[in-house]
Amino acid sequence: MVEKRTKRPTAAERLATALGRVGAAAAERPETTRETTRGALAARSRRDFLLFGASVVATAVAGWWLLPERAKRTWLPGAADKLDTLAARVGLTRMQREANLNRVLTFDDDVAEALYSKQRRVRTYDRPDPRPLRNNYHGRTPGPEYLPEWRLNLTGLASGRSESLAIDELLTRFARHDMNTRLVCVEGWSHVTAWGGLRFADLLAAYPPAPGMRWAAMRSEVSLSASGAPEAYYVSIDLETARHPQALLATHHAGAPLTLAHGAPLRLVAPMKLGLKNIKALTHIAYTADEPADYWNERGYSRYDGL
Amino acid sequence: MRVANKHDGLVRAAHWVHVPLLLGLIASGLAIYWAAPVFRHAPTPGNPRGDYLVDVGRALASWFGATGETRFWLYERLSVGPMQLANALRLHWLFAYLYMACGALYIAGLVRGGGWRALLPRATDPAEALAMIRYYLGVIPHALARKPWPHPMIAGKYNALQRSAYLAMPLVGALIVLSGWAMHHPATLGWLERVFVNYDGARIVHFACMVILGGFMIPHVVLAIADGWDTLRSMVTGWSLRVKGTPHG
Repeated sequence: MVEKRTKRPTAAERLATALGRVGAAAAERPETTRETTRGALAARSRRDFLLFGASVVATAVAGWWLLPERAKRTWLPGAADKLDTLAARVGLTRMQREANLNRVLTFDDDVAEALYSKQRRVRTYDRPDPRPLRNNYHGRTPGPEYLPEWRLNLTGLASGRSESLAIDELLTRFARHDMNTRLVCVEGWSHVTAWGGLRFADLLAAYPPAPGMRWAAMRSEVSLSASGAPEAYYVSIDLETARHPQALLATHHAGAPLTLAHGAPLRLVAPMKLGLKNIKALTHIAYTADEPADYWNERGYSRYDGL
Repeated sequence: MRVANKHDGLVRAAHWVHVPLLLGLIASGLAIYWAAPVFRHAPTPGNPRGDYLVDVGRALASWFGATGETRFWLYERLSVGPMQLANALRLHWLFAYLYMACGALYIAGLVRGGGWRALLPRATDPAEALAMIRYYLGVIPHALARKPWPHPMIAGKYNALQRSAYLAMPLVGALIVLSGWAMHHPATLGWLERVFVNYDGARIVHFACMVILGGFMIPHVVLAIADGWDTLRSMVTGWSLRVKGTPHG
């Protein structure tokens, strides 16, 4: 006898079958059980709880070691010193903590660098934020006394000379570029700002660094400490970042020349870096082969600061 | 004797490692938040940045009868402290990388042990959730009246309320990681920043997820303790004496 060929399933039927299979695969399975002896259970439990207890102790010790000094003294004012001594006795010293936490920073910077691409453009905006940009000078805002004498000093150039440029030269010789980008502060606030200025890349083309130079040591000799005493501010910028088309040496902000609060007459705007790299009232750029010092890196922050 | 197999070893390990990591992330995270609060009102003389957490801290401090300067009362207790931004950032990155690794282990354990199936929502969940809420509301009145108040029959490993909470936690965990990356690299991961509308959007989502994760811990610990030693032990050892279909089940 010849069997009649069954009808082929329709698409809807096949979908229903597939969904049914997925449903069956995802359905909760009945609980599994096992037969064991009281002794075997007790032995395994002992092992598991010993491991658990040892982990709790290790975590508590590591946690104490990692706590900032201020938190230690706030949380356990009576015992902080004794516990620190105990921790140091097992080799967990303050110096080691700093070294290890700085290694975390470097790891995080390496991740950031791996994700970064110099081809990528930072997001730009149609219009800047309406509220004014906050003045976050870490010290006192300098007065206008420095402006008449202000020059941009360049060293580490291929010419072997050092250059000293007035703001008028920079304004007239280089093309002006405008962009609305977000300035992101390490503190967590941000602001979409309208910037205008020359491209750092154009300055690098006009005054090329000496061969082998990979860094720009950017410095402001006019910035002040919180008490108003002269205190230089300095950041490190790698030349690849400096050549990014969105790295500006800004002369304008919100359509007007930079005010003193925002770094008149020239500041760095590198929107692919945290705000603290965007040095205000720039007076010196030195091209260097090795990574130069960075003000906030010396105070416990990253030196890469990539956004 | 017969025991029920409860949780995969990776799930158990990741579960406990999450506890110090979440506490560390909250303590360092709030110290970062301190530097630039996102929830703010107009400045007042005692609160120049208008930080609502300063107000909350002051209110709690006076409730607890604290004297002296109480501006940073909350930050001093829940975070590694005000004026600790550089320290807090390093700690936050350390705990954040460990948190991501721990989350990956948790997911791996759910897959290896098949535990993920017990977390998926099902059609009976709304009715079961209502039954569970009714049960929880009745526990204390019935205990006071010394009347029996049987637990609703639950067919699977978890009831509908547990299931939704235990599924939500890894999802909120993923969201807090994504919003964290959006804030950490808004330029490099511009597309991710846009997912949260903008930079502040990512900050608000990150904060809200922290509140949900932290808020989950409180009822979770209370209910786990109320459920008894067997439940707590099973998260360490992986087995339970409560075998389904026996009087204990």
